[in-house]
Amino acid sequence: MNLLLSDEQTQIVDSLKVFLRDRAPVSRFRPPAPQIGNTDHEYWPQLAELGFLGISIPEEQGGIGFTAAEEMLAYREFGRHLLSPGVLGMTLGARLAAGAGKDFLGGVLQGRVHVALANPRGPAKLGAECSGEFHLFDGKGATWVLACDETGAALLRREAFSAVSTVRGTDHVLGLERAVLAGVRPALWIERDRDDMYHRAQLLLAAYAVGIAEATRDMAVEYAKNRQQFGKPIGAFQAIKHLCADMAIRAEAALCQVIFAAVVQSEQRAGQEFHSIAAKLVSVDAALKNAAQNIQVHGAIGFTAEADAHLFLKRSHVIEQFWGDTRQQRRQMLAAPFPD
Amino acid sequence: MDLHFSREDMIFRDQARIWLRDNLIRERRPHSGEAMRSFDLAWQRKQFEGGWAGVSWPTEYGGLGLSLTRQLIWHEEYARADAPDNHLCFVALNHAGPTLIASGSEDQKRLHLPKILKGEVIWCQGFSEPNSGSDLASLRTQARVEGDHLVVNGSKIWTSHGHLSDWQELLVRTDPAAPKHKGISWVICDMKSPGITLRPIEIMTSPNQVHFVQCFYDEVRIPLGNIVGQINDGWNVAMSTLGFERGTAQIRDQIRYAYLVEKMIREAHRRFGSDSPLSNDEIGARLAQLRADMAAARAMTYMVMSRAQAGIQDSQSSLMRAMVGETQQRARRLALDILGPYALENPEDDDWVYFYLRSFSITIAAGTAQIQRNIIGERVLGLPR
Repeated sequence: MNLLLSDEQTQIVDSLKVFLRDRAPVSRFRPPAPQIGNTDHEYWPQLAELGFLGISIPEEQGGIGFTAAEEMLAYREFGRHLLSPGVLGMTLGARLAAGAGKDFLGGVLQGRVHVALANPRGPAKLGAECSGEFHLFDGKGATWVLACDETGAALLRREAFSAVSTVRGTDHVLGLERAVLAGVRPALWIERDRDDMYHRAQLLLAAYAVGIAEATRDMAVEYAKNRQQFGKPIGAFQAIKHLCADMAIRAEAALCQVIFAAVVQSEQRAGQEFHSIAAKLVSVDAALKNAAQNIQVHGAIGFTAEADAHLFLKRSHVIEQFWGDTRQQRRQMLAAPFPD
Repeated sequence: MDLHFSREDMIFRDQARIWLRDNLIRERRPHSGEAMRSFDLAWQRKQFEGGWAGVSWPTEYGGLGLSLTRQLIWHEEYARADAPDNHLCFVALNHAGPTLIASGSEDQKRLHLPKILKGEVIWCQGFSEPNSGSDLASLRTQARVEGDHLVVNGSKIWTSHGHLSDWQELLVRTDPAAPKHKGISWVICDMKSPGITLRPIEIMTSPNQVHFVQCFYDEVRIPLGNIVGQINDGWNVAMSTLGFERGTAQIRDQIRYAYLVEKMIREAHRRFGSDSPLSNDEIGARLAQLRADMAAARAMTYMVMSRAQAGIQDSQSSLMRAMVGETQQRARRLALDILGPYALENPEDDDWVYFYLRSFSITIAAGTAQIQRNIIGERVLGLPR
């Protein structure tokens, strides 16, 4: 039993950290950069080259052949850098295509063919026939759209969606569209029994949320060390210090549970459902609270678009909603069998 | 990262499980007095005779000399078997013993460690004073050297089970002129020494429940040979003791609480009907979040173990302790809301209310939640003092 990163895992993460630090700093969203939409899909070919789009896909299918654990560690870094959640479409789309032996897999693994994400915005049904109202995230220019629920995962052509209209997103640096599926057969449908994409998705979303919880903790601590009021750094005051400590406690709890859930998945142990949903609940709670407290620690500058704090808050709300909001996932949490 | 245990570890786990199943004491543990002392010592003796006491303690003092992993496995199986919590043995097994192993002389180890494992003695703690709580290093109980003895005068407070104890780990000021962290010594005090008087202190759990004592020391003579570590170096010795309290000793409790939440879910089903947590959205939502947080608290405990095994020594375990304590408190509080009006009854054999009231100590003992946050802020995050 050992929850620490192996040397190999540390190396993998370090290579990704360097790439994201140099190419995708969160400051890329600051004004005068456009406040609506993003160009993160330009990173996909580079991430593909580094091996991160097919990190957990077997080598014989063109992937790297690592496990849920390494994939989780990558998503933690994606969250820290607020990479477009479209990356999850790429990861899961590739996984779905690999499982079905589809010829467009290569295009996805190279980051050339884009897979966007759909999340229900009302009643929706996925299966051999899909219907319902959805939000599409960063869907412009995507060939495919991926949707997932507890019964399975569907890959649809973007043209399969009708009544598509652009709306301004709460998280405005993401492209957001409303769209409808009116009894459409997906190009690919994989039942949960064949491949539990739902709980893998929840694990990766949870890891992304851990990245947000950690990044906002670090921002708040850094600011509290530097900002001076009443003749000393505000972090010397317990009112601020304890807020930062709370952020650290939440981030650590979320990280530990996400690591635990990832190992349960990679070793195919009992309790994958229990631990993945627990990971999502704990880490989304940490992300939402830390993002909010980070704004508070920053004071007035935290309320502006000149600081990055608001972006983390908005992204936390997106992650929270994905493929089951907190209310729905608490129900799943109670229904999951307890792994002794 | 992995959750594997070796073949030998698995065999050890099977053996532990079987022994616990066959040897568990099934009677209800008394909450107080001599009956509680006899119960806890008898259960400790039984574990020793069965060959299960002091899993990671050195063999020359009666321990099994096994790895931290085996210690973890023993704690897991212990909690799984719902074995009784012998709280009276806690200080000896989790503070005093490990402190003696780390800093004690050969004579001290040979005299005390086997007795602890055999269930012959109870230890208590003499750290806090009426005017030294969170600011422990300001303690003022004096000890002057007279020949080959220390002579102690002063008072200690919040000593759990002091009236049922044989020995006390006692912090005294041996150099009043030195800076406050430098003039303290860690000594072994015989609770039957002449000059010690005790004032019982009742606690909030139930009427007439004596848990603490205040200790008064009037010219109490303690042999110099009872100083653990160097004279005036007691602060460093004590910090290692608190480290144990904030570290690995949590595991058993942690697992036990995970089971408690499962029991609460069953109780909620019983009380509200078969699909209860779903139909009562408020209780259901809190139970679900608690179940998730409890899983996270346990994962944090495994992380602390992983760091300890890798020889990493830092203040990270304070994050775990803060999370664990508050999650446990929340569990006890939620249990009352599930019980409804039954929570207004607190009979002798109650399993809920007593422990709810008791849970208020979790965020106070061994460093309040606020002191923990100072430690996290300053030592983990590097914020200025």
